[in-house]
Amino acid sequence: MSNTQNASHDPAESNRDDRSADAVTQTTAGESQEETQTEWTDYEFRGEPKLSVDDLDVYYGDERALQGITMDIPENSVTALIGPSGCGKSTFLRCLNRMNDRIKSASVDGSVELEGEEIYQDGLDLVTLRKRVGMVFQSPNPFPKTIRDNISYGPRKHGDIETGLLARLLGDDSGEREEKLVERCLKQAALWEEVSDRLDDNALGLSGGQQQRLCIARCLAVDPEVILMDEPASALDPIATAKIEDLIEELAEEYTVVVVTHNMQQAARISDQTAVFLTGGELVEFDDTDKIFENPESQRVEDYVTGKFG
Amino acid sequence: MSNSLRTSDSSDIENPTAGDGRSPVLVAGGATLAGALLSFLFVPGVTVFFVLAFLGVAVYGWFVHQEATAKGLMFLATISTALVLVLITAYLFLRSFPAFEQMGLEILYTNGDYWSRGDDRYSLYPAIWGTVLTTILATLVAAPLGVASAIFISEIAPSWAHEIVKPAVETLAGIPSIVYGFIGFTIINGYMMDNFGLTSSGSIVVVGVVVGLMALPTVASVAEDAISSVPDHMKDGAVAIGATEWQTIKSVTLPASFSGISAAVLLGVGRAVGETMAATVILGNVMQLPEPLYNVFGNTVTLTSLIASQYGNAHGLHMQALFAAGVILFLTVMALSITAQLIEARVKQNLGGEL
Amino acid sequence: MSERTLRNQSRDPLAVEYSAALAGLSVVPIATFFAAFVVGGLTLAGQRSLGSTILGIEIETVLTALLFVAGGCLLAISVGSRYGVIETTPDRSAGLGVASGFGFVAFSGIGLAMSQTFGLGRLVWAPLALIGGLTVAGAIVFAREDLGVTVPAGLFSVAIGSLVLFDGLTPAWAWSPAGFGVTFNGTVLIPLLTIVAGLVTAWAAANAFEGFGAAGRQAGAFFLIGANATLILLVLLLLIAFIVKNGFWYAVDGIEIGPGLNFHWPFVMDGYDVVLNQKGIYPAIIGTFWLVVGALVMAVPIGVGAAVFLTEYAEEGRFTSVIDIATNGLWSTPSVVFGLFGYAFLVPRLGNNTSLLAGMIVLGFMLLPLVLITSREAIKSVPDEYRDASAALGVSKWETIKDVTIPSAMPGIVTGIIIGIGRIAGETAPILIVTADNPQRSSAPAIMGSFELTTSPPFIVNEALLSGSSALPYQLYGAITTGVVGDDPGYGWATAFVLLLVVLSFYVIGITTRIYFRKKLQA
Ligand SMILES: Nc1ncnc2c1ncn2[C@@H]1O[C@H](COP(=O)(O)OP(=O)(O)OP(=O)(O)O)[C@@H](O)[C@H]1O
Ligand SMILES: [Mg+2]
Repeated sequence: MSNTQNASHDPAESNRDDRSADAVTQTTAGESQEETQTEWTDYEFRGEPKLSVDDLDVYYGDERALQGITMDIPENSVTALIGPSGCGKSTFLRCLNRMNDRIKSASVDGSVELEGEEIYQDGLDLVTLRKRVGMVFQSPNPFPKTIRDNISYGPRKHGDIETGLLARLLGDDSGEREEKLVERCLKQAALWEEVSDRLDDNALGLSGGQQQRLCIARCLAVDPEVILMDEPASALDPIATAKIEDLIEELAEEYTVVVVTHNMQQAARISDQTAVFLTGGELVEFDDTDKIFENPESQRVEDYVTGKFG
Repeated sequence: MSNSLRTSDSSDIENPTAGDGRSPVLVAGGATLAGALLSFLFVPGVTVFFVLAFLGVAVYGWFVHQEATAKGLMFLATISTALVLVLITAYLFLRSFPAFEQMGLEILYTNGDYWSRGDDRYSLYPAIWGTVLTTILATLVAAPLGVASAIFISEIAPSWAHEIVKPAVETLAGIPSIVYGFIGFTIINGYMMDNFGLTSSGSIVVVGVVVGLMALPTVASVAEDAISSVPDHMKDGAVAIGATEWQTIKSVTLPASFSGISAAVLLGVGRAVGETMAATVILGNVMQLPEPLYNVFGNTVTLTSLIASQYGNAHGLHMQALFAAGVILFLTVMALSITAQLIEARVKQNLGGEL
Repeated sequence: MSERTLRNQSRDPLAVEYSAALAGLSVVPIATFFAAFVVGGLTLAGQRSLGSTILGIEIETVLTALLFVAGGCLLAISVGSRYGVIETTPDRSAGLGVASGFGFVAFSGIGLAMSQTFGLGRLVWAPLALIGGLTVAGAIVFAREDLGVTVPAGLFSVAIGSLVLFDGLTPAWAWSPAGFGVTFNGTVLIPLLTIVAGLVTAWAAANAFEGFGAAGRQAGAFFLIGANATLILLVLLLLIAFIVKNGFWYAVDGIEIGPGLNFHWPFVMDGYDVVLNQKGIYPAIIGTFWLVVGALVMAVPIGVGAAVFLTEYAEEGRFTSVIDIATNGLWSTPSVVFGLFGYAFLVPRLGNNTSLLAGMIVLGFMLLPLVLITSREAIKSVPDEYRDASAALGVSKWETIKDVTIPSAMPGIVTGIIIGIGRIAGETAPILIVTADNPQRSSAPAIMGSFELTTSPPFIVNEALLSGSSALPYQLYGAITTGVVGDDPGYGWATAFVLLLVVLSFYVIGITTRIYFRKKLQA
């Protein structure tokens, strides 16, 4: 991994302080923050904080699914989220690009900043946010269109690629650019070899693992900065999983990757740092992956990662 | 688990010894009911004996082998649903056959003299054309507005608006067609004469719009089912890479539900074709073609309004011609309904595959 | 890793910039659209004339002013956006859809003016109009989106305003296309065109409000879809309000309460009797009541039974799909066809005359598919776990159906039946053919009192069941065709009012029950 180690910088602390000064929503959040952090406050932060989450609560109706989550996600690295089923990993992930807005009963309280800019501010442009923070889902969900159209879907919607009658009239046909983009994204997603000769086939004809890599390629095509992945390999066999894992490690050179996984070994293999959520929607420990798996601060986390609990 | 339940073996839990006692009951029940039906068809006077016998068998069966009897009765109920359709088909064809025979193809199309009791000539051409024209107009109203309401209800409306618009569309379906007809007859027809200089009461355009309004709820509710059955994770895929809601609707949701929406439109067309009272009351029901053919301000008759306005004083070939109109209506609507169902079945398969 | 050509050089800011000027300018056309809709609507409905005044201003002037204001705002936006005074994010082009829309408007406008006003022949006007339309469409395609949306919409509005202002289109203006027997009058066209132009400008303004681009197109589309939903609501409310307004007072006229338990509501409790000078619809109400009861007795057991059989016992396969196709076919069968069927099948066998019984059976046949479909849906939606849990306890299948499945499906079944009643209570065509005799009757069918035992089959006879009857929808139809409405319109409105009350009550009850049970399920 090529993360820039930046030991002198300690943005985890300084950032949090800055924020509590100007964030309006969490003037009283101090205590609860302390509680959840005590176990891992000595975590040494690496890299730039790409996303800073501060005292995030999520409710589904009256049910609280996440409580007081605070963490900084460093740039150009893989952050794994692990924890037992139903502890709120997906919920947390969906907060980072505001996909929770689409669930009517969900309400979010707290702050998430993308490079210092609050994403829960009024007048936020959801489209831009989701362009910058892409997402790959647990089960592959390619569009029922051709492989090519799946890749170029995002850029088309953002006006970066135009083909068809109008584009030709305007002398602006970006068919060539589309070809290049499709090839680049498919190569990046390690799918090019397998599908280069059938780009015009329906994407639903691909295997599950191929579909998932296509979804990753589709996400890369809009050139996001952060890629959120919710158990991207859970529906796949070991070989396809290995491909996705390699891919994630490679992506981290250019992107900030946050990945939810149920597979402890997977988290250990691919991630730079790991966040452990436990039942009740609380973040118990967040630290370097090695630390979490070899010598966690919290007994509960140790129990969980060694399989005694969860 | 549930699949294994769908066999009838489990009934033996309750009646382990009843095995051989049940079949005579079922046979007797079936026979008496068939007798009742046949006698009603040919000698209505004696039907009552068969009905009583059937009731007797059913009551006996209920107390002795409840499950088998219930199952048998429900099976009969299922069969009789299909039987109703068979009877309708049979009687319509039976009664209309002489008209088709006598008129030949002229019943569908002829030049000039369409309808004359004196000459016993009954061509349905003007009524067919009237139905086509009103249905086109009605579809132009119902399809876009209905699909737009479906999109509104299932994709766009905030929950408060959803709670208002969805019941409102359903209620619109509840307004009886004669009420629409009454308003058309008393208000709109007069309005058209006063403001558009129409010379006679009733015009195709009014019927088309009113019938379109009546078909709108059908389109809206079937299309809404289709649109909301597009799985969320498919739409999420578009939203998560920064497509707007509208782009997602246009490029993911609507294409994925396209077949269902076409089925909705077809069913709406079926409603419009079969709509009777509004057309009967609003139109002048004159056996003539609009001049020129596409003159929507003209007056004419539709297949439905032809039947409703003339059955009362029709005899012989005249009546049979009305039955022929019924056959054409019935076949058209059946074709639309079956096509819509085939499309919907395909949708289910497709969406099932994509999950 | 390969080079990334598309990386956003400068990171897009997350927050949308808010431009007060843009918001202000684009809200105005939306507001004027609503004003034009209300004023124009009142004029079209004949509530106001173009010459009358609102707040001291002549309506024609009001409409013209609205057109100019809306168009002016859009043109201002276009200038501001073009010269960067107003911050927007337009796409390169407004697209082919917008272009062809406005192109078509231009084509029709030019064509109509040339052929009708100047009387040019087809060979002259058609090419000219085509050139005009294509020019407009082309200009829109090649212009930037902000201009392509606002300029044509603004010009359209201003053009219609100018037509009215400079007397190109006056209330006295009239146009009768040859051979159609129709006249388009200025009194109708002025408000109508104002509303249409208002809608177009409001759409463009909604688009502009979000600064064009993807967000703008979404706003424009959502505006139109929202307007459509509002329109449907409005139509429903107006229909109901209109009938209530015209029918309510006639219907409740002469109600006497007291002394004591004495309560008399003439319209609802009297028959129609010219001699007694009574004009009531009691016989029709009772007729409809019995028709509904009879149809329910027919359809509910058969429909629910078939639904249970199909869902619980039958294997999904050819048999179920044939039945499903038949059921849906029955559901779509036109009511008048049911009527013909009853006329051919039932009437000859039930005493050879129209009868209440025939009506009950035919309406039962019509209700059957509805009950079957809704019950089937309801039974299907009972989770399999319930059945499994019961079966796992060794309970037989039939007991499970009786004690678990049907009770859990009950809300859905009942809702379906209630809404079904609403539908058949308003059916006219079949009753007209198989039940009706004299619509304006003086007495109601006395079903309960007419049962008689006989010694010959069928042992029980009921004279009233075998004779014709009136029914609410048929009463209304009869009032129209026999000319009663012509002499006494209030009678028709009042009948429509009572009919609507009966039918919509069932709908309201049905829909409320469903919402209630759904809420309860969620909680
Ligand atoms: N749409 C929703 N409505 C209501 N409650 C929800 C919704 N989605 C999730 N929840 C609840 O929120 C909690 C957290 O759910 P979430 O899906 O985030 O868990 P998870 O950690 O991703 O679990 P898994 O590992 O099984 O995917 C759970 O208790 C769940 O029941
Ligand atoms: Mg999850």
